[in-house]
Amino acid sequence: MAEFHKADVEKLIDGVLPWPAVQDMMKSAKDTDRFDKYIEILQERVPWDEQILLPLTPSLFIIARHGARVVKCRCGHEFGDYRVNWKLSALIHVRDDEESLSKVYKGREMPDPTWVQVREYICPGCGAQLEVEAVPRGCPPDFDFLPDLDTFYREWLGRPLPDTAQFKDLTPDLVAEWRA
Amino acid sequence: MAEPTLLEQLRSNEKAFEETGNLFGLQSLPRKEKDPGTYEAVWHILSNVCNLAWEVGCKVSSSPIAVEGGDALWALHLPTGEAICVSRGITAHPGLLAAMIRNFIELGYEEYPGFNQGDIFENNDPHYGGIHSPDFDMAMPIFYEDKLVAWASCVSHVSDSGSVTPGSVGFLNPDCFSDGICISMEKVGENDAFYPWYEKRVRSRTRTPDFVMGDARGRLAGCVALRERVHAVIDKYGLDFFVDATKEYVEDSRRYAVSRVRTQCVPGRIRKSQFKDLAMKGQHVILNKQDVDCLFNLPMEVEIDADAGVRFSLRGASGTVPFGENISPTALKSGLLNGYSHIIGFDMFNSGPEASWEVETAPAGSWANPFEVDYTASSGVAWAPAVMWMSNLYEVFGRLFQMRGFVEEMAAGAATTMTAEFAGVTQLGYYLAGLTLEQASNGSPARGFTDGENSAWCIYTPNADFGNAEVTELYYPIMYLGRNIEPDSGGYGRFRGGLGHTAVWMVYGTPSGIEYQCGCAGMRSKIVSNHGMYGAYPTWPDAPSYAHDTNVQELIEAQKPLIHERGPATKPTIETNIEAADLQANPSAPFLTRELLQNYDIIVHPISGAQAMGDPLERDPESVVEDLNKGWTSPRVASEIHGVQTTMNGEYVVDSVATKQRRSEIREERKARAVPFKEWWDAERQKVAAKENMADAVCAMWRSSMQLSPEYGAELRSFWDLPDDFEF
Ligand SMILES: [Zn+2]
Repeated sequence: MAEFHKADVEKLIDGVLPWPAVQDMMKSAKDTDRFDKYIEILQERVPWDEQILLPLTPSLFIIARHGARVVKCRCGHEFGDYRVNWKLSALIHVRDDEESLSKVYKGREMPDPTWVQVREYICPGCGAQLEVEAVPRGCPPDFDFLPDLDTFYREWLGRPLPDTAQFKDLTPDLVAEWRA
Repeated sequence: MAEPTLLEQLRSNEKAFEETGNLFGLQSLPRKEKDPGTYEAVWHILSNVCNLAWEVGCKVSSSPIAVEGGDALWALHLPTGEAICVSRGITAHPGLLAAMIRNFIELGYEEYPGFNQGDIFENNDPHYGGIHSPDFDMAMPIFYEDKLVAWASCVSHVSDSGSVTPGSVGFLNPDCFSDGICISMEKVGENDAFYPWYEKRVRSRTRTPDFVMGDARGRLAGCVALRERVHAVIDKYGLDFFVDATKEYVEDSRRYAVSRVRTQCVPGRIRKSQFKDLAMKGQHVILNKQDVDCLFNLPMEVEIDADAGVRFSLRGASGTVPFGENISPTALKSGLLNGYSHIIGFDMFNSGPEASWEVETAPAGSWANPFEVDYTASSGVAWAPAVMWMSNLYEVFGRLFQMRGFVEEMAAGAATTMTAEFAGVTQLGYYLAGLTLEQASNGSPARGFTDGENSAWCIYTPNADFGNAEVTELYYPIMYLGRNIEPDSGGYGRFRGGLGHTAVWMVYGTPSGIEYQCGCAGMRSKIVSNHGMYGAYPTWPDAPSYAHDTNVQELIEAQKPLIHERGPATKPTIETNIEAADLQANPSAPFLTRELLQNYDIIVHPISGAQAMGDPLERDPESVVEDLNKGWTSPRVASEIHGVQTTMNGEYVVDSVATKQRRSEIREERKARAVPFKEWWDAERQKVAAKENMADAVCAMWRSSMQLSPEYGAELRSFWDLPDDFEF
């Protein structure tokens, strides 16, 4: 079995690992401690100290703090409980007319704004474009991933987290607050 | 003791799986454990036997689709139908072929008409699990010393299915009666020969019977070759070994799929919305009911449980359409196995992974489960919505692999498959209807560490191949004026999708004109895909064009510039260089031309690139400049979307200081123009309630999705705070 060092994984993340080495990684049996190496690298790269429990995306992490599990951007901006779709706590810019769409899609490359809107989710902290959705009006934002964190740590990694949280989508609760 | 019937074996296999969680109750893999070398070797021999069948079959066939595009597949199955291994070719089919064999058993065919060496069985009927009429599925039992030990199977995509419009991409079919020739779970031959009436039916019910029969003989030849080689394998390794090992290969593959999910994914719930348009209002259609614009809702929800079990749901799928774009649940699952094999279970590609996941039955009356409600729905090109639904799978698992750090396995969303079909008398004087293989080479999805590959990928086959231009010119009365990488066609992100290409054809040599159908085998014209992974912009919609009754012959004689590429989106070359009585620079696709195209008419047919991932401001400026210098991106996209500022020194060079500054300005501009989500939600829900600026197709889609999946409807109403009885 090939062995992959942390430095290789760093290069992979940065897109600079040479192609033969990437191929080797693809073809070989996987390194069983990849998750730990990955978290270690990510932890070194963020300017804050809270423990990363799961990298949701390359920019957003679920972190642990005093029993709470919070979605946090690389830059440090926080989006709240990981069981609420973080998009509801982001900034949003929506392109739903020809003028705004034409900034991205010119001429005949432009989609029809009566059929689709392009939603850009922006981090209020660093201005990163975290996700883009292209959906017709009326589509609720996708809750891309609600992890079952306790099962993951307890049963898949074999090291339970010190506290537990119910595996439940809490987004409807926030929306209910807004409606009230 | 009498040998159990196949039906009894099926039932006892089901029981064993239920009791042990292992296929065939195999709690260990004794052949593998005892002699792993032979086990591996025989696997590769059997795989090569399937590939040999593919070589033989495609050569025997005469159709351009098989010969030039290799759009066919052969497989070896267990007696109860599960695929053991498969050839190269269209890997969307092993699941279908396995389900068909199982269905023959379930329908009691073992008793009557019985299974015998040399029998040929076929199906292409979606009502019995087929995908669509041009895909002929065949199976032949393999006997060894009077015992049925396996099946050989094949699928090939014929050039004309005899449907209401010529060719094989029947998106315009209004109902199943227009889907063309029907082989409904039939025994079509014995003693390695087709019944004479089989050929008679092909001759009376397809437009290109020589090619369709050529494909039939190709399927048969491949299956016979496969059977003979399997006999040789059994002669060498013994029947006991063959019977044991072939089962173990399937269980082994199931275990592999489960273990990949467990070691490389994360349990939880994933949601991915996806949509696809079919804008046909005002277009050339067959029946009045088709004068309508449609939007498909193609949602994918995936739940991964503690045991690494994967459950797919299509809750919210929209209703059937009066076009050939509805798919049976059996066929959809087969498509899913194809996608799964790309992403999860590709070590030994067979039926095993199907036992590692479940697909919740799609809402009855939806495009993904049409027949319970809409029995006459057409499946002319049932792949169309299915492949776009499957595209979600790449992004969904790409996201999961990222979370575990397996960046090398990540992928963004797929490209689309817009087809080109021609029908008419060729330059050689005979009638031909058929598909070019242009669409079988898209850009590949962006990966977690680099861009996708240009023109090297196809969602339904690992052997992407758009065929040789020169060979395509031999079959069809067209001449290639261009086949170029299309700049900026891979979305905009940190890593872009592989770029697509644009084919420019001139009609040439037809004595009578030809039909051109710009077909939908999975494309979009009005919308972009919902693949803005990690902040990328999705690729633009598919946008073909054509010119009829042109001045191209005069341009050639005067040696004036012609057209070899699409050109800029705001000023396409077809508008600047060509004059035509009927110039369709921006038609809504798909479409069938109203008139026959004549010699010197021009078609500009783009094949899409794949999807990008990551914030476009995070793209390495050097990669942007490399693309600029190759002509693969435009200065506008480089500067405005990627924020990369350049200077010229014979070629583009990065201005690092200006780029850094421009990028930080763009980030500030983003924050300035964006609003808190709740603020947008407050305004947006009023617009949703008023159906403001929503196309009829959008409202109709939401209406059917919410009716067919009441829970989905309730969630949508609740999110926008709409009344409980609100309908779009
Ligand atoms: Zn941030």
